[in-house]
Amino acid sequence: MKTNSNHTREPLFHLVKRDALPFQKALLIRVIAVVLAVVLCALLSVALIGASPIKFIGTLFDGSFGSSRRLWKFAKDACALLCIALAITPAFRMRFWNIGAEGQTLIGALAAVAVVHYLGGSVDNWLLLVLMFIAAVVSSGIWGFLPAIFKAKWNTNETLFTLMMNYIATGLTSYFLMVWTPSGSSVLGALPFGHLPVIGHEYLVFILVTLILTALLYVYLNYTKQGYEISVVGESENTARYIGIGVGKVVIRTMIISGAICGIAGFLIVSALDHSVTTTTVGGMGFTAIMVSWLAKFNPLYMLGTSALITFLEQGSAQISTNFNIDSSFPNMIVGIVLFFIIGCEFFITYKIKRSDSHKKGEKIK
Amino acid sequence: MNRPIALELKNISKYFGSVIANKDVNLTVYRGEILAILGENGCGKTTLMNMIAGIYYPDHGTILIDGKEVVIRSPKDAFEHKIGMIHQHFKLVDLFTAAENIVLGVDDNKKYNINEINETVAKMAQKYGFNIDPKKKIYDMSVSEKQTVEILKVLYRGADILILDEPSAVLTPQETDKLFEVLRRMREDGKSILIITHKLHEVLSISDRVAVLRKGEHVATVETATTTASELTEMMVGKKVELNINRPEPKNVCDRLTVKGLNMTNSDGVKVLDNVSFTARAGEILGVAGIAGSGQRELLETIAGLAHPATGEIIYHNPQTNADDNLMDKNPIEIRELGVRLSFVPEDRLGMGLVGNMDIVDNMMLRSYRRGHSVFVDRKKPKDLAHKIVDELEVVTPSTKTPVRRLSGGNVQKVLVGREIAASPTVLMAAYPVRGLDINSSYTIYGLLTKQKEQGVSVIFVGEDLDVLIELCDRILVICAGRVTGIIDAKNATKEQIGLLMTETKSANTPKEENNNENEQ
Amino acid sequence: MFKKLLSVCMVVFMLAALCVPMTSCTKDDGVFRLGVILLHDEASTYDLNFIEAVNKAAAELGLAEDQVIFKRDIPESNECFEAAADLVDQGCDVIFANSFGHEDYVIKAAKEYPDVEFCHATGTKAHTEGLDNYHNAFASIYEGRFLAGIAAGMKLNEMIEDGDIKAEEAKIGYVGAFTYAEVMSGYTSFYLGAKYMCPSVTMEVQFTGSWYNEDWEKNAAIALINNGCVLISQHADSMGAPSVCEDRGVPNVSYNGSTISTCENTFIISSKIDWTPYFKLICEKTQADEAIPADWTGTIATGSVALTDVNTKAAAEGTQAKIDEIKAKLVDGTLHVFDTTTFTVTVVTEGENTMNTKATVDDNGHLTGYMADVNTDAAFAGDTQVVSDGYFHESEFRSAPYFDIEIDGIELLNRKY
Repeated sequence: MKTNSNHTREPLFHLVKRDALPFQKALLIRVIAVVLAVVLCALLSVALIGASPIKFIGTLFDGSFGSSRRLWKFAKDACALLCIALAITPAFRMRFWNIGAEGQTLIGALAAVAVVHYLGGSVDNWLLLVLMFIAAVVSSGIWGFLPAIFKAKWNTNETLFTLMMNYIATGLTSYFLMVWTPSGSSVLGALPFGHLPVIGHEYLVFILVTLILTALLYVYLNYTKQGYEISVVGESENTARYIGIGVGKVVIRTMIISGAICGIAGFLIVSALDHSVTTTTVGGMGFTAIMVSWLAKFNPLYMLGTSALITFLEQGSAQISTNFNIDSSFPNMIVGIVLFFIIGCEFFITYKIKRSDSHKKGEKIK
Repeated sequence: MNRPIALELKNISKYFGSVIANKDVNLTVYRGEILAILGENGCGKTTLMNMIAGIYYPDHGTILIDGKEVVIRSPKDAFEHKIGMIHQHFKLVDLFTAAENIVLGVDDNKKYNINEINETVAKMAQKYGFNIDPKKKIYDMSVSEKQTVEILKVLYRGADILILDEPSAVLTPQETDKLFEVLRRMREDGKSILIITHKLHEVLSISDRVAVLRKGEHVATVETATTTASELTEMMVGKKVELNINRPEPKNVCDRLTVKGLNMTNSDGVKVLDNVSFTARAGEILGVAGIAGSGQRELLETIAGLAHPATGEIIYHNPQTNADDNLMDKNPIEIRELGVRLSFVPEDRLGMGLVGNMDIVDNMMLRSYRRGHSVFVDRKKPKDLAHKIVDELEVVTPSTKTPVRRLSGGNVQKVLVGREIAASPTVLMAAYPVRGLDINSSYTIYGLLTKQKEQGVSVIFVGEDLDVLIELCDRILVICAGRVTGIIDAKNATKEQIGLLMTETKSANTPKEENNNENEQ
Repeated sequence: MFKKLLSVCMVVFMLAALCVPMTSCTKDDGVFRLGVILLHDEASTYDLNFIEAVNKAAAELGLAEDQVIFKRDIPESNECFEAAADLVDQGCDVIFANSFGHEDYVIKAAKEYPDVEFCHATGTKAHTEGLDNYHNAFASIYEGRFLAGIAAGMKLNEMIEDGDIKAEEAKIGYVGAFTYAEVMSGYTSFYLGAKYMCPSVTMEVQFTGSWYNEDWEKNAAIALINNGCVLISQHADSMGAPSVCEDRGVPNVSYNGSTISTCENTFIISSKIDWTPYFKLICEKTQADEAIPADWTGTIATGSVALTDVNTKAAAEGTQAKIDEIKAKLVDGTLHVFDTTTFTVTVVTEGENTMNTKATVDDNGHLTGYMADVNTDAAFAGDTQVVSDGYFHESEFRSAPYFDIEIDGIELLNRKY
């Protein structure tokens, strides 16, 4: 770290904590971070795959905005991510580290598919959809409820618990897929029943429902008594006790809500998009959603932006893989670099780096 | 003053964001003296000392030791320059003995021989008059013994400059006297001792000189012998302060809360409340005195419905219905539903009484948000209350939308006390309400409590400064290891009398004390 | 509150607006393009095999680099339809998907875009779906496995002759992924190949329940070796089993490509599907505006089933010559892999543990009939008689394998579906 060291061992730089930065300045730092990240990625692309930076950045945008189909897919993927991120947000606001959204969503999707598998064709489509919705919400709610009650009653570690529930959900899914496909292929394929009606574009309903959910959750968290209780429990359990909030009750209630929203996500994925389920239906979105929620500081409105950003990066990098005909490791690296810069720049929003006095003086003398 | 200069600070400054912790501080410390660093909470005393001990690095300025400029980047650097600091929060390994803790981390290339070390430690203790067994485990020790280990740890590393951060905060008056005796002996041995404090009488009794800090700046360094308490206060506060508390005669006194035979055991099986009985009366302030961790917190939390003891009764004499309600085993909501207007200012303000990340309005809502049948919260009334409290109690804040953790200690406490009083309580409990507050804020709080008393509220005040307890309260309940050792009339009480009651069981056998990290300041 | 959001969105969309025109594509330019949808990317040996075949076919046909478009990491969900549709947008004339679970979504795309040809490997529905532009393909890999089995049998014979093992100790261990036709057909043909050379051979099969799990495959191979298996083969995608064999000095017959670089002392031979002929076929047919077969099976005769070079360090003497000889017989039809006289089947139709219920056998246990579930309808019942002329007609009624008989001499240690 030290350059041409002088006689003292004074550090060249040291860190100083900042005050709260004004909004514009913090935004500027974030924008600079994104720009720097993209520049670095472009340079790497020249060095590693021999693509021109302009073409590289163009391809990145081409992935999400290159055609109206890609734009729709971008909106749909961002909404899918957003929907799951919405689900984990109440729990995270409560400082309940629910990393089980993957399993909670999958079990909801599985339940919805189970309804279609056993009742599809024998009841009206609207009734089938209602039953699918109920099955998905209830089963995902249970998936959220179990770790919560263990946390409330025996103070188990919710992170491990929710993580393990993911594996159980995956295991159950592959078990039922095996039962439902006697040929042994474990591939269910697209089911002909239980499709949500299509209004305009086939993804429009899905997108609208997610946006409505976002608004509802924003209101719930910020303007209702239950939302207020969640914040109090999250900030300080002692304060919650002090004013007589039953902490266990709030934890359980909130996790059921968290799970139930995952159930809605699962239901939507089945009824509006895939019409099927596999063990990879959620495909890691349950974990990516954590990042969406965290980057947005658990604010549902900000999450519109963060889910769009992450989806944009993922689609852009997939497009890079296609256009430059390379495997996915380089695009994955790009997503990593951009996220690293975005998360890393928070450091510069909190601290500033200060040059030590003596070094400054030394400079002046020269 | 011909003694050699041990340590010199020149134009030291340190900023945290736009907050000035220290600005252009110049300070000289001689060999063989005790220098008190005096200042109100938040004036930068600890930050300044931390820069000498290598915890922080100064933004500007230089440090000289024995006349030579040095750079101290870490506690290790500090030790190389023979500087050692004893922090408020002890850093000891509970399962190790005193001697083992003392040598832990010492890298002197010597073979580890515990017998030899035990001997060295014993000798060193004897030299300065410490009373300690090197083979005793930390978990068997009282707080003052642990402090002794911390001091020996620093001495063992050969420190010539010792910094003690509020050393008397965790000690009884008697233990403080013993510590000061030891410090004087060290001074005679040629050590330089810096002692951080905000207690004037300690400054006057122990130090040779006093350096006064105010808002991060060095006001003056004066000879202790030539100054007075009021002069020092004026330097600390920056203006003349009336140090008398007005204590009106209680009026219309009647029993409000009767506590009978409370017994409580904590999760470690230690008895924290031992047959506690007393009566709190409307229209008077009942003081609670005791060493930190003697059961004060458990007592107040029990009355507030947060903790549930094994046995006992808490009878509330309701002034509206004249009924006697038993509050035992009820939670705060059930207590409120009984019509009991009980307010509680807990000692952990931001961890219990308030939510640090919420603004003043949302903190006002904590008590009232449940009102009404709507699923939505009503922020209008809390907003009005927030503005009222900010205006009436002169809370310094950019706006009512500022998270309360950003406010200074005194303003945080005004918000909390203001909210609790706004509920127009019949019983008001306050645990260490002036801890960490500057002198002006402290007197504001005393005034608020007295005003409540005059309005017929039964006030229970848990305090640590015996002088204040004696001046403010009408009666003082003394608690020791969970037991009530006396309830005395404050008008005729003396500090010595209370001090003795505070340690009544201590003389018989030394009970274990909780090592709670919320040591007094 | 909205300010931040708004600003972020504005920045993103401004940049987007700047960049989109540069890369806008309207592809109705008459240039032929092939689109390929892959479940994973080059890191998976399964997908790598397709990528290499596409590249080879493209080179042979003289296609330019931008005439082939790959979509990697496409899951078996609606994403597959999205990928196919996006490839159509980019002007692809024929689109290929490589994973079994892609099938329904490729069919969806085929219905939506009748002017574009869609091909799907390992699928089963083309012959029942009745779409002109949707086609299945597979290869009779059982022929390759049979030839690999010949090499294994010769190795076992060598070991018996050398006195390393007794004839009755000639036991092969097989690490399989799942207990269904694709795997069962594979190990059975491999076993029959070995048996053709070494009549006393027996086999044990251990399933892992995963197409790619290095640890499980390793553990399965170790368990088989500890059980007394003296030669190992596998049908799963990781290097788990071959690397265990190299460590333990047990000969290994590989699949999907040579493992000689890491297993120089134990690797004997490997069979694999070579998709190059199929890619050439669909490109040529599409360009010539001719129909692509609805259900195409690549055989050893078409060059779709390939064997690697024999590793002379591990294989028995004369292996290559023997393989060439047998291969010629398979090509001219004088030898059939599933010749019913070469194996016996036990049928149990009653009791709790029923076995091979769709098969009929004569008094000697030789297969006389088998109703295979060729049409993958909801009934999952046998619908087609596939045994005739003294052999089991694998991959003839549809390209995907349907041989799922448990024959005598092979013991299944577990089952994973």
